[in-house]
Amino acid sequence: MSGRLKGLAAVLFAAVVLYAMQHTTPFYSEIISQVPVSGRLGERVDARDFALVAGRVNLARALETESYGSTKTYTTSGVWILVEAVAEAKRESMALTSAEWIGPSGVRYGLSQRLSNVPGMVQTANFEPGLAMPFLMAFEVPENELSGGTLLVSRSLLMPLAEQVRMPVPDLPADRIRSTIAIGPAGGELPWTLEAK
Amino acid sequence: MPELQAGERRRYWLSLAALVVVLPAAVLAHTWGSLTQWWANNGRDPINVERGAAQRYAGAEWRMTGLSVLPIGSTGRSVVLAEFEARIEDPAVLMESPCVVALTDAGGRRWQPRFTVHRIVREQRPEAAEKPNCGGLTPEQVQAGATVKMAETFVVPADVDGLALSLIKPNALPGNLVLR
Repeated sequence: MSGRLKGLAAVLFAAVVLYAMQHTTPFYSEIISQVPVSGRLGERVDARDFALVAGRVNLARALETESYGSTKTYTTSGVWILVEAVAEAKRESMALTSAEWIGPSGVRYGLSQRLSNVPGMVQTANFEPGLAMPFLMAFEVPENELSGGTLLVSRSLLMPLAEQVRMPVPDLPADRIRSTIAIGPAGGELPWTLEAK
Repeated sequence: MPELQAGERRRYWLSLAALVVVLPAAVLAHTWGSLTQWWANNGRDPINVERGAAQRYAGAEWRMTGLSVLPIGSTGRSVVLAEFEARIEDPAVLMESPCVVALTDAGGRRWQPRFTVHRIVREQRPEAAEKPNCGGLTPEQVQAGATVKMAETFVVPADVDGLALSLIKPNALPGNLVLR
């Protein structure tokens, strides 16, 4: 009798374990999702494929660019976040094709494509091994998504198990929002100049 | 609990041993297609070619003719100018697939060529600046028996060493020409 009871208990135990495994199995997309690498603004963060330093975070109601002698103004109903950063590839020439801003509410904002052709923007940058390359990232977000946001940068969202640098940006008070920031041509060591107006 | 008979005991251990063989075999059989596909796309069998020597590869005989390092002022960067040539044997095979070129160093780092010729190359090596890229050959240039001179430029840190030009034609994989 005790043998039968033991057998029954073993079957029940196996059923419970199988049920638990079935209901906790992660989706394939979760298994191959990006691997977070935490860092701080202003400090070097090393991912497997690249190293990144995100520096100053500029805020503006409008951005101005100059192209072939004419000035273009990009307004927004929210706020422009313009992040100055430097990155270098580690193993092979590469691009950084994914950057996101996660607001305090958890909403994700992708890179603005409105400035993707402006020199110095991450979309136009090619990162080479051993060569530090400065670049800009521009996001367009509502004003209430500024403070407490997080910057995410990765080589590509499509690469399984790629590393994603995550940098919290805790404090961005509204008094830092400029009316206009003009992005000018190369100045000194940087491929751009920024002028607040 | 009754004692196991000798035959049952043998079958038990045989089954366990079979599991050790059968499980990996099943995994291998299941993933064989993916593995062969991955190897076809990513497999590399380096063919090292020393400076001045020629090597047949993908419908041509390839030879490195020069690898010049041109420092860019005091920026800590250099332009590497790789000059090489191909004596064409089979134009159809040569033009069948694109030319994937990279510069490698002793540490295994890989640099992709620049799309445009760097200013320093135009100033210091104007004749090389006029040479076509490996990926930019036209059918008119690719004639059987002809020798095509090509050049690629790269921007690298000034302190690199052990540089070599890696050249891949996907139709010749896993062969990977490494010109030193």
